[in-house]
Amino acid sequence: MKRPSAATHMSEVDVQPGSQQAPRRPRSRGLGDLALAVTAHGSALLVFLMAAFLVGVLAFAAAPSFKRFGPAFLVGTEWRPNELERPKLGPDGKMVIKDGESVMEIIPPAFGALPVIFGTAVSSALALAFAVPVSLATALVLVRVAPRIRLGAMLSFMVEFLAAIPSIAYGIWGLFVLAPFLQRHVEPLLQQLLGDLGAFRWMFYQRLTIGGEVVERPLALTGRDMLCGGLVLAIMIVPIITSVSRDVLRAVPRAQLEGSLALGATWWQSCVAMLHYGRSGLFGASMLGLARAAGETMAVTMVIGNNTTIAASPFAPAQTMSSLLANEFAEASSELHRSALLEVALILLVMSLAFNILARWLVVGASARPSDAS
Amino acid sequence: MFWLCVGACAAVVMVLVLVVSYLVKIGAGSLSVSFFTQAPSGDVANPGGMLHALVGTLILLALASLLGIPAGVFAGVFLCEYGHSRLAMPARFTADVLAGVPSIVVGILGYELLVVPLGGYNGWAGAAALAFIMIPIVARSTEEMLRLVPRSYREGSLALGATKSQTILRIVLPSVGGSILTGIMLALARIAGETAPLLFTALGSRLITYNPGRPFPSLTAQIYTYATGPYPGQRALAWSGILVLIAMLFIINLTVRAVMARAARIRV
Repeated sequence: MKRPSAATHMSEVDVQPGSQQAPRRPRSRGLGDLALAVTAHGSALLVFLMAAFLVGVLAFAAAPSFKRFGPAFLVGTEWRPNELERPKLGPDGKMVIKDGESVMEIIPPAFGALPVIFGTAVSSALALAFAVPVSLATALVLVRVAPRIRLGAMLSFMVEFLAAIPSIAYGIWGLFVLAPFLQRHVEPLLQQLLGDLGAFRWMFYQRLTIGGEVVERPLALTGRDMLCGGLVLAIMIVPIITSVSRDVLRAVPRAQLEGSLALGATWWQSCVAMLHYGRSGLFGASMLGLARAAGETMAVTMVIGNNTTIAASPFAPAQTMSSLLANEFAEASSELHRSALLEVALILLVMSLAFNILARWLVVGASARPSDAS
Repeated sequence: MFWLCVGACAAVVMVLVLVVSYLVKIGAGSLSVSFFTQAPSGDVANPGGMLHALVGTLILLALASLLGIPAGVFAGVFLCEYGHSRLAMPARFTADVLAGVPSIVVGILGYELLVVPLGGYNGWAGAAALAFIMIPIVARSTEEMLRLVPRSYREGSLALGATKSQTILRIVLPSVGGSILTGIMLALARIAGETAPLLFTALGSRLITYNPGRPFPSLTAQIYTYATGPYPGQRALAWSGILVLIAMLFIINLTVRAVMARAARIRV
């Protein structure tokens, strides 16, 4: 009942109540019908209008940014809303000195979306990497073990309730509990263990160019970084992936499971058979989690460190599309800045809609298969 | 592998219990009567309470419901009862898609449509943004519930000479009224916890206000401001706010589950 789309397809056939009505009826009665029809159609129209406004208004408001940057916006690596004033360098790479003072030059603001696209992609990918295996295992337990020991209902309720906890609650927990824990215990440990191995060096050192020289410096571990963002997101999407996977696995026909057991499969081998059978639905469940992770705002804003640059290390602060919007939209410094933010919002919208549509398509396909389970 | 799976399940439950129990423990530690009875005092050492935010959230929810519930329910009626219309499939798809829009994007839409033209942050924009999130959820849950009504109800009603509108309004809707109500409650629970759409619309306020034409307080936005601020007294209030919010959602979820379980038993 939580997931509307699954049931829809099965029962589509039976409801066509008004289509064959009595041929004649008094005029006065038609008025009520008309009023209801108008209201219902009006509400449906409102839904279309909402979608149209959403896309239309964002696209319209983002137009100045489209015109200014074009497709280069998507690959621009610098996001700098303010003008930058710095000493002018001559052709020989040295500062230009005039009347005993260095000449300053002003570089206009730059807007490129790549750092935040990178941030969203990496944090969501981390979240999925943590959440998917754990969620699938939990779903398997819910479907195959929990019913036998009468824990199913309680576990299901827990999972569903946890999906309902608002993101700001996870955010405040991440900010005051998880981030300090990572900073004090986990990250120093990892640094000690892995920091001097060549293969992991990039995670703990950053390269800076100072005065033409490349310097390698240990990264300051703050706990509020990409890793923390990914972990908090993972905790947030485990419930949704678990509950959808559970429904998908429940729809696996009983014969499939019994067949594999009859052929001598071990418990795990029969689970693999189930996972294989429901693979497209399970993929859809992961996509739903991905959509949620990509659009998530408050929790991420509180823990990811909010630094709009591209850093390879998971221990460096980052910025996602949604956290950038949360941080900068209210204080946009110029018309162009606001327009660029709106373009980011549009990219975010299109991306999460794509994930959602793909997910729904896959999940509906998987759970609407005829099944004799349950 | 069996034990690995059970272990993973136990780990999930443990982490989630850990998170919630921590929130509850810290929140309960700083919860006091003044949280419910006082507005912010302006003194950071002794910050008062969150009465303004509670009132604000309730008013925002009420305003959002005024638009969201009728529009959502009637859209659901359209999807189920006027399902033969050529608009039904696209409408269902659009509602599904809208339900997946990131909430911060909804907030930005509210800013562009209702904050810029009205000249400043205001409660109407916040309520509209919440209604925007609510409508697709209510529409789809209402549709699902209406589909559970047996066809014979409709046929019986029509055979007795009732019009289509009488059938829908007096027979079909009331027969699943409780379930539709639970759908509405779940949608309300969802928007009560939303922060992102309010940041750029209602913004927040330190005053008890009943005028939605001005910046409007809400529990979630106030929690965010306090939690990210520097003052320990205000952080303590934020923790209490989280606890109150979670307790509210827990009660709603528990009620909904109980009602649904009863409804299922009766139907079978």
